[in-house]
Amino acid sequence: MECHKCKSQGQSCRKKSGGLAFFRKRQQSLDVEVSSSPPIALVGMPNVGKSVLFNALTGIYVTVSNYPGTTVEVSRGLVQIGEQSITVIDTPGMYSLLPISEEEKVARDLLLIEPVAAVIHVVDAKNLGRMLPLTFQLIEAALPVLLAVNMMDEAHNWGLDLRQDVLEMELGIPVVCMAAALNQGIDELKHRIMPFLPVQPAMIPA
Amino acid sequence: MISQVIYPEPIEAAIAQIESWWQTLGDRYLFANYSLSPRSLALLLLQKDPGLWQTLQRDREQCRHLEVLITVTQNQLKQPIALAIANTRQSQAHAIERGVLQETRQTRSSLTETLHQLTVNPITGFPILVVILYYGVYKFVGEFGAGELVDHIETFFESQINPVVNQIIAQVIPWRPIQDLIGNDYGIITLGIRYATAIVLPVVATYFLMFSLLEDSGYLPRLSLMLDRLFKSVGLSGRAVIPMVLGLGCDTMATIVTRTLETNRERLIATFLLSLAIPCAAQWGVIVGLLAQKPAALLFWGGFITAIFIVVGYLTAKLLPGNSGRFYMEVPPLRLPKLRNVLTKTWVRMKWYFLEVLPLFIWASVLIWVGRLTGIFDMIIRAIEPLIASLGMPTQAAPIFLYGFFRRDYGAAGLFDLQQQGSLTGNQLVVAAIVLTLFLPCIAQLQMLIKERGTKTTVAIVLFIFPFAFLMGYLVNFGLSLFGVQF
Repeated sequence: MECHKCKSQGQSCRKKSGGLAFFRKRQQSLDVEVSSSPPIALVGMPNVGKSVLFNALTGIYVTVSNYPGTTVEVSRGLVQIGEQSITVIDTPGMYSLLPISEEEKVARDLLLIEPVAAVIHVVDAKNLGRMLPLTFQLIEAALPVLLAVNMMDEAHNWGLDLRQDVLEMELGIPVVCMAAALNQGIDELKHRIMPFLPVQPAMIPA
Repeated sequence: MISQVIYPEPIEAAIAQIESWWQTLGDRYLFANYSLSPRSLALLLLQKDPGLWQTLQRDREQCRHLEVLITVTQNQLKQPIALAIANTRQSQAHAIERGVLQETRQTRSSLTETLHQLTVNPITGFPILVVILYYGVYKFVGEFGAGELVDHIETFFESQINPVVNQIIAQVIPWRPIQDLIGNDYGIITLGIRYATAIVLPVVATYFLMFSLLEDSGYLPRLSLMLDRLFKSVGLSGRAVIPMVLGLGCDTMATIVTRTLETNRERLIATFLLSLAIPCAAQWGVIVGLLAQKPAALLFWGGFITAIFIVVGYLTAKLLPGNSGRFYMEVPPLRLPKLRNVLTKTWVRMKWYFLEVLPLFIWASVLIWVGRLTGIFDMIIRAIEPLIASLGMPTQAAPIFLYGFFRRDYGAAGLFDLQQQGSLTGNQLVVAAIVLTLFLPCIAQLQMLIKERGTKTTVAIVLFIFPFAFLMGYLVNFGLSLFGVQF
């Protein structure tokens, strides 16, 4: 239940409510900047913290819950990586590239059609084994994948330790360990995502 | 490509064959604008991905070719292709997991495991649910939110704002009709804004706070899991529990979340039940507040709505052809909610809700003003008075049902106002609460219903709910007086 979402989809907003104007304006200005370079997509199973990571990267609030299926539509926002502003897409959870329900199809179809600069596969460190099959499928699809192993704090509390270098070698893709809810690992993620981005001509200060 | 999953030989052979076949197709290759690799597309087609097969239908010959290939591949395997593919991935995933994850110490908390079992097992789960409902909803939302907070803000309005507003407009504006638009009994400030800020806002705020806490603790999925068993026993799909539980917060959002259901049939049943029998935060906050002084009446209301939900759900599930889908749900760990997230979420939802209802409530005031000025309002009220009377309601309740037609929470707030004046008996309250709960959803939900299910379905749902709500109200009133029950 994230009622306010209706607002961002423009479903139920009343024209009169002044508070929304600010929100809309911000969205619009985002859309203008967005179009230039291909976006980064956050994908993964439900309830692994994609929306938390989206909040942390873009500063835009989308409701996060300890409840799978909170995100049913795609949200877009901007993240500042180095000198560039890149669009980040938060997607509904999906278990596999082969969708079962409608909301899973949203994320799949996005990957199917939209060219992306990078796909960040967010996984729950505590359930790595159950989540890696999707990583395989993303690698198989020749998508530019980066694995973000989230909820490392909880894994540590469970007495689990992850060997990041070994995982990186096994998969052949960059792996970042993080705890998005505690803001840990965000900077490293931004740093590791840089090589995926198209090289931009040096910015000339206006 | 450094790490590639290697599938059983027949599947690998099929992939290789598809890939080389596609290279010979030239212009007839149908998947050129997809950004997935041929290997990935081939695997999806072998697993009969509906979307990709639809694209393939454009070329009958390619379709046949692939069907033959799938049959040949399947014959060489002991298990279905999709399962073989999934198993291969799964075993490789577990192999990697074993290599990279080390259990440094055995501290998997047994406390959370016990808690999990307690919440999921119906024998302990239901008492826990009752405790949460009692303290969370009854005590916190009902007595604190709808009781004390509303009292304070209402008193403030009645004693500080309303008299001042009425006095000012009496001096500044010479015409009585304009005075009525802003102040007096039905004015924008004295009624519209008062309803929104003094009655609905505190109720919704306390409710959202409690709901956010429950949500972040991880209790809700466990509630779904427990109710799943109950739902299945009456022929309802377990997966549908998720939007239902969310609907207790906001039916509009829950209607969107029905997308997570697998079949159209399930989505239809779920949206229908959401519109009929699931009260949203504002509604059941106000209703709990109304009936808080009469626990028996509150229990009766809860029991009656639950019974309607189960019976109507069961009948709908029986009437609509098809099977319910599998229930598979990720159960996240129980967590200590983070205060900041809970507060932010409550704040965002409250803001959304308030901005949504305030203009509507103001419009309702304007509409009522126009109606009273032109006499239409009185005409409609006189027309529905017999209907209201047949429910055993006093005639003052007629306007409330008229408001309720625009928004259920507005009707609930009106009911609250009437009850504060002490002009409703326990039975009348119960009947009104039941009719308003079953009544039409709010405008936002109606819009979402049209968007998700189409106009035809929406009209059908509305045409059922409208008479049904009144019929149930009538029957309850009749039954209560027949058996001489007085709440």
